[in-house]
Amino acid sequence: MGEKRFMKGNEAIAEAAVRGGCRFFAGYPITPQNEIPEYLSWRLPEVGGVYVQGESEVASVNMVYGAAAMGTRSMTSSSGPGISLKAEGISYLAAAMLPALIVNISRGGPGLGSIQPAQSDYLQATKALGHGGFHCMVFAPNSAQEAVDIVYDAWEYAERDRNPVLVLMDGCLGNIMEEVELPPMKERTDADIPEWSLSRRNGRDYQGNITPIYTEPILEGINMMAGEMYKQWEEDDVKVEEFMTEDAEYIVVAYGIASRVSKEAVLTLREKGVKIGLIRPITLFPFPKASLRDLDYSRVKGIIDVEMTIPAQMREDIELQVMGRCPVYEYGRSGGCLLDDDGVLEAIEEIIAGGNDE
Amino acid sequence: MKTSFVFSGAGGQGIMSAGITLAQAAIDMGKHATYLPEYGPEQRGGSAKCTVVVSDDPIVSPLPRQCDNLIVMNAQAYEKFFEDLKPGGVLLTNLNRVAEANDRDDVRLLPVPVDDIALELGNPKTANIILLGVLTGATGIVSREIFVQSLTEKFGKKPEVLDMNIRALDKGIEIGKQYKA
Repeated sequence: MGEKRFMKGNEAIAEAAVRGGCRFFAGYPITPQNEIPEYLSWRLPEVGGVYVQGESEVASVNMVYGAAAMGTRSMTSSSGPGISLKAEGISYLAAAMLPALIVNISRGGPGLGSIQPAQSDYLQATKALGHGGFHCMVFAPNSAQEAVDIVYDAWEYAERDRNPVLVLMDGCLGNIMEEVELPPMKERTDADIPEWSLSRRNGRDYQGNITPIYTEPILEGINMMAGEMYKQWEEDDVKVEEFMTEDAEYIVVAYGIASRVSKEAVLTLREKGVKIGLIRPITLFPFPKASLRDLDYSRVKGIIDVEMTIPAQMREDIELQVMGRCPVYEYGRSGGCLLDDDGVLEAIEEIIAGGNDE
Repeated sequence: MKTSFVFSGAGGQGIMSAGITLAQAAIDMGKHATYLPEYGPEQRGGSAKCTVVVSDDPIVSPLPRQCDNLIVMNAQAYEKFFEDLKPGGVLLTNLNRVAEANDRDDVRLLPVPVDDIALELGNPKTANIILLGVLTGATGIVSREIFVQSLTEKFGKKPEVLDMNIRALDKGIEIGKQYKA
């Protein structure tokens, strides 16, 4: 069924979005995600969709707000600094309970940072994509193929929850070309447009109401509903890969590009007889708490958080589950300097040898 | 079996296109491949580098610290990357722009006057195809047939361009075979 292509991660995301039903994109250029808008600029018109290069990030995210309100599967993409500019709009999307896909192909930071890849936006993605205390589901694929699979179904989650979804990848994964198998185009009709959208009257004599503004008791109710939804995600939607963890004395925790370099290190160390495994969060929010909470800490001697950012940002989420039952270590590269196989391997060996302070 | 390649030089020397062509050819042969480009903010003339990993098995990490084959198209790239080659690896240099490459005595040096050969063939743009030919001849990483097939797909509508590229490839293979391990 599938169609195989050798594609850049960014282009694979764009094509998967189209096949997943995306018919509106608005964005503003920024490296290293430019292939997404470039691709959609010709691809969306082919399927009757609309592509807009906005005059700014703020304008773009608000166009997504408008299109989403009409029930159109909509997305925007950017990289760190641009996501910061979109923060207000993403918060408004969450407030108005609108589904949308936001893609962050992250780079070095803070500030303008570096145009080179980095995983420096974990905290922004998982804790506060904007003001006001809301969350999005955050997916962190580690290959072009996994990005395709996740983006293809992103609107199923977004529409189910009436909430934006974030896909977080670093510039490395965005720019790597790999083989991908593409799923078929989702055939959608007007009947698939959500009930609440402004494009459906449903017998009403008014066009419905989408608003990010609520008065006190209603806003509290909206907050409570959101809180329940986040709890439900933890029950239903956690995605995690556990690799060689059954007998592991050391566990590496890594997501995205860092997980691939780490897995290579795990495989090499296993050949040397080291009992080591990998836990890879695929959803960063909801975080795979149980995978870390339920480890046998009479056996596990240490957890090693590997991220392409300094200092590590996932560490607190890990420590909340480890609860002091074993040391948590970290290794990373940052600022656009990439992790590499030997570097991660040597760092882990050094940590195991006890040469690294907690 | 996993083999890695780093192509490096200046923007405009066909570095990225050489990397993509190699990766695509490997995939056409039923192997797995990843291609990772790295470049600065310049549109032209900045440094260009790409890493290609080819493997019989699915590729776990696309980020080796050191590569098996380093291709340097100019002196800046040589200075910047010569340490990124594994001991015993292949160092393919553009002799026209990298006059001396004597910092490593633990690698196989393949100095080829790529620019001169490309000019003799009639188009300096074929330099990167000559390089791929040398790699093919020296390492056998992919077959001539596969490259010809992908060149035909790319330039099929321009017979004279296709012909020149195939001649560039064959010239490269001929040189590469002299270096075959």
